Amino acid sequence: MTKRRKWTAIPGLIVLAAGAVMLSAYSGASSSQNSSPVQPIPFPHSVHVGKLGINCVYCHYSANKSPDPGFPAVSTCMGCHTLIGPNRPASNLGAARTSVGIQTLWNYAGMGGKPAKPIPWIRIHRLPDYVHFPHMRHINAGVTCQTCHGPIQTEDRVYQYATLNMGWCVNCHVNGYDPQQGEEMASMVSDGHGGAMLPAGFTAPTTATPDSLRKHARYDCSVCHY
Amino acid sequence: MSKSTEPKGKGVKRRDFLKILGVSGAAVGAAGCSPESAGKLIPYLVSPDQTVPGVSTYYATTCRECAASCGVIAETRDGRTMKLEGNPDHPLNRGAICARGQSALQQLYNPDRLRAPMIKKGGAWQSASWDEALALVSQKLGEAKSRNAAGGAVFLNQHESGSFPAFADQWLAAFGMKPHLSVDFEADQAAMEANRRAYGVSWPRLDFSQARLVVSFGADFLEGWGASVPHQLDYADARTNFENAPRSVYIGPRRTLTGMNCDQWIPCKPGSELIVAQALAGKASVAQAASASGVGADVLGALARELAAAKPSLLLAGARTANALDLALAVADLNKTLGNVGKTVLPAEPLTAFEGIARYSELADAVERMRGGSVPVAFVRGTNPAYYLPASLKFADAFAKVPFKVAFATQPDETVEACDVVLPDLHSLESWGDAMPVKGTLALQQPAMDPVFGGTRGAGDVMLALAQKDPSAAAKFPQNSYREWVMARFPGGPAGFASGLAKGVMPGTLPVPAAPAPLAMTAPPVLESTAGDFYLITYPHALLGDGRGANKPWLQELPDPVAKIVWSSWVEMHPETATKMGIERGDIVEVKTAHGAIRAPAYLYLGVRPDTIAIPLGQGHRAAAPIPAWDPLHQDPVKNVQWGYGRYARGVGVNPLDLVPAAADAAGGFVWTVTKATVAKTGDRETIPSTEGSARQHGRGIAQAITITDLLSGKGNEVKEAPLPGDASHEYLPGLRAPVAADAQGDIGAPTAADSGTHLGMYDPKNPLGMARRRWAMTVDLARCTGCSACVTACYAENNIPTVGAAWQNATVYAVEKTGYNVVRGREMNWIRIERYFEGAPDAKFGEEWEGRVVPMMCQQCGNAPCEPVCPVFATYHSPDGLNVQVYNRCVGTRYCSNNCPYKVRYFNWFGYGEKDRRQYAFPEPLNWQLNPDVTVRGKGVMEKCTFCVQRIREAENRAKLEHRELIPDEFTTACAASCPSRAITFGDAADERWSVNKLIEDRRAYTVFKEINTYPAVVYLKKVNHPSPAAAGNA
Repeated sequence: MTKRRKWTAIPGLIVLAAGAVMLSAYSGASSSQNSSPVQPIPFPHSVHVGKLGINCVYCHYSANKSPDPGFPAVSTCMGCHTLIGPNRPASNLGAARTSVGIQTLWNYAGMGGKPAKPIPWIRIHRLPDYVHFPHMRHINAGVTCQTCHGPIQTEDRVYQYATLNMGWCVNCHVNGYDPQQGEEMASMVSDGHGGAMLPAGFTAPTTATPDSLRKHARYDCSVCHY
Repeated sequence: MSKSTEPKGKGVKRRDFLKILGVSGAAVGAAGCSPESAGKLIPYLVSPDQTVPGVSTYYATTCRECAASCGVIAETRDGRTMKLEGNPDHPLNRGAICARGQSALQQLYNPDRLRAPMIKKGGAWQSASWDEALALVSQKLGEAKSRNAAGGAVFLNQHESGSFPAFADQWLAAFGMKPHLSVDFEADQAAMEANRRAYGVSWPRLDFSQARLVVSFGADFLEGWGASVPHQLDYADARTNFENAPRSVYIGPRRTLTGMNCDQWIPCKPGSELIVAQALAGKASVAQAASASGVGADVLGALARELAAAKPSLLLAGARTANALDLALAVADLNKTLGNVGKTVLPAEPLTAFEGIARYSELADAVERMRGGSVPVAFVRGTNPAYYLPASLKFADAFAKVPFKVAFATQPDETVEACDVVLPDLHSLESWGDAMPVKGTLALQQPAMDPVFGGTRGAGDVMLALAQKDPSAAAKFPQNSYREWVMARFPGGPAGFASGLAKGVMPGTLPVPAAPAPLAMTAPPVLESTAGDFYLITYPHALLGDGRGANKPWLQELPDPVAKIVWSSWVEMHPETATKMGIERGDIVEVKTAHGAIRAPAYLYLGVRPDTIAIPLGQGHRAAAPIPAWDPLHQDPVKNVQWGYGRYARGVGVNPLDLVPAAADAAGGFVWTVTKATVAKTGDRETIPSTEGSARQHGRGIAQAITITDLLSGKGNEVKEAPLPGDASHEYLPGLRAPVAADAQGDIGAPTAADSGTHLGMYDPKNPLGMARRRWAMTVDLARCTGCSACVTACYAENNIPTVGAAWQNATVYAVEKTGYNVVRGREMNWIRIERYFEGAPDAKFGEEWEGRVVPMMCQQCGNAPCEPVCPVFATYHSPDGLNVQVYNRCVGTRYCSNNCPYKVRYFNWFGYGEKDRRQYAFPEPLNWQLNPDVTVRGKGVMEKCTFCVQRIREAENRAKLEHRELIPDEFTTACAASCPSRAITFGDAADERWSVNKLIEDRRAYTVFKEINTYPAVVYLKKVNHPSPAAAGNA
């Protein structure tokens, strides 16, 4: 009796499990949103972009001309960091200190006596193989990088801002890209506690952007899936 | 559980609950993702110049897959070459490329490529360092030199036009050795010798456009005789110039692909082509020729009269019989007397790529010298005589008598296996070089990418290194690399070379080697007097050539253009003969001659004489040493060298050259049709792996044709049908009269619909997103298509289509370890296939007139697609721009769509050919380097099909948007259309009148397949045009 009763619970649990899987798949819970792995070098976008104002395409050099945004070669880092070594003097970026990150970079670049090797960055944003996301179409349409990648200029350690789920993509393609919102995201500054906020003096519009000012995009399946 | 000490109670116990929860939880966990699964991003150390990640770079280089040396553009992305296209600036191929040329990529990335030098020690192969291997070769060279024996050395090189032959000869001379032999086993020596005697050049240009009648005596000009790509381009152009198109006649015992493309086939007995030619020249009587050739005197008489009237004409000789030279000379003479020289035969614009090809007799002579023991060292580079030399020559025995044998090779083959040292060579797409395809034009060869394997080195570089180890040779070769040597010799030096690299061709001339006089050889046996019931024709396979292509799965999986057979050998027999002998298709027959015997399945073919059988060369690669049982998933490519020409070639089919005597014609060319054979039924049977359904159309009107007289008189033009039942009541778009998606998705947008057609959504042509303004469409001109199948391979390359025929690629459970078994079960994946139909000869009687027709069949992108409404998950639907889209990640594999497709163009991925960890994986490392990053690699259980290269459409749209412009008409095309050597396929926007396709769909010859079922295809075919014999014009 016990035995029989015991197994009757299984179908129910399987249904429950399946439900959980479905829910997680469609809710975005299965997305790796907010994941923020520790990188081999603690590269602070907040310093390079937020404080120093380096343009995104200086390092991600093909974002405006290729589906692939491009990823800086070690030599690109060393373009500046040959001069900007691990021993940092006091500046408006902080007190005098020894930068572990730049030291690690130098080691990768072969400045530590060992042969140079590429930096094994851990990937954060990844779309499945069956999705084609041409970066240049979005950049050239005026979509700010921050719209999808979040307030990257304030991030000490990069995290996945958006869910990257299809619903998130389609939302923008159908309802249109709001330039106001993109501008806001790009204007964010660090709030000093690891978060982002709008700078003082930035006046966000009080009314929603009218449809005519939104940028609509094709939402046919074959635009991205082939 | 009954012995459990836990208290019994109702419901699920705590422990069981935890167990169950654990299992369910694991399932949920497995479905989730962790950030680590996203992988690593490894940057460059130093970013290469002039490349943008994700954007292709194009390198113009030279194809080395056959002797013609066409120009190719190698598309390279992120450092890997992924597609070859024809070079539009090259005078030979003018932008087109054949199936063999495209498959060069599968040699470049062949998983069985040699990765490090090897030395045979005590009969066993051992990996060696380059230093070790070069020291050994250098030592042996020194020994031969000190014994004054170096003069006997033999260097066999796969023929390539350009500087390498001269380099090899200079290098050999520096060591006191004789010039090398530049071997091309497929070359037609008789035709070249006759051309040299008649016109002073080996290969004049042939101008089909001027000819009014083309008569081919066994010359397969569309499939491997000479340079087939330019022949196809010119022939197609000539044939679609309808008013002045040439009629074509094929004379020969077997109707080849070229024969099928000719209007008339005159099936003469093997060897009797000569007397037919003599009769046409008036040097023999027609009656005599008729009795010797087995052809009706009326047919020959009519042809003679036609030939006299057709001015100019073009006569070609390519029969490979004992009297081949006499035939070629007679035909050259006929061309002269008929006034064709200077009109259709142009010796002033010769092809120079074939200059310097060694005669077969020279090769046989070298083999005899090896047997005699006078050859101290032998070098073999890229050629495989141990496979293609007839077994009766006993090459292996002779080769074994050479004390030291060196192979420069990219991949293990039968000859490499018999050598003592293997030096892994670079592939032509990784090396520098040059070629002279036609007089006055130089073609450059440059690497399209870094070498795939670090352990490989170019033969030229290795030879320079060897020269520098030798004190006397070192001074003659100061260069550090073959590249420097080529550039120094090049007209204009390195700067001149560099100036030509952008286009890949430039004007210029290189010295052309002179052809030596033919060696005297023992005369071949008289065909008639050999023992046997059937004439035996052996011929190089249209795709695998002399066996070179057998290690490339694309070519193995590409159906033979005539027989439609894959991954197999076969014996062609006439159905009449077969019936008499009680043989059916697939019966294993034993073919026996005085020289050997083979067993292969019979294929019944209308296109061979009843007294003749034909067997293609190309298969039957064998390893000398036994191969240990192997597992495709766990291979050590360095330790487990795939002898027997690699995993895809080994053990497939048979080699018909086991049957024939080693005989040369008077020009020193190999005689392919030289003996008779007996055929016996063995009682065994096998299903031939073939992609063919029925060879007959059964009145379905798939491949339609019109005679030239009807076409010119306008007959058939008036056929503008009345509206079909169910026809859309209005035209949605200009161009193709098609309801686009509307019908498939319900009658949205129709004025009669409930919403008065106001809610078209994205299907509205006025929708600002603009997609519905377009209607992508394609036309296929059957008057141009020859069935060569280049488009099929182009599609495989472009769309990451897996090959499925290897023995280990079928089911894992209940596996049938049989090559081609998946194809037998209909699991092939050719998104575009060439259907071949026979028309006429309903009773398969010899002597009845019949015609071969070919139809490229791909997804028809129906406006009213039967597949779309049956998909339960909307994985297939109609896009606003007229594509029948297949969303792979949405597909759950019900296959309803395939069941409902009248064209049968949807293919199901049965075993996960795109998944790395399966034994069925079709792209073992590094074949996967070729995969197109723009196209999804499909997994198991997914339906796939042609989508008009949607990735190319999107890429072109992206590019246009980036440049702030609209698409330029005809600015891009699909992979099949880009490669097509007869320019039969045209792709474009049918809704925009500026695109070529917009006009072609309204052509007087246009028709759609299965029009009666209202599918509104976006693929429009143009009828084939037949030119019936003037004598038989009545019954066309």
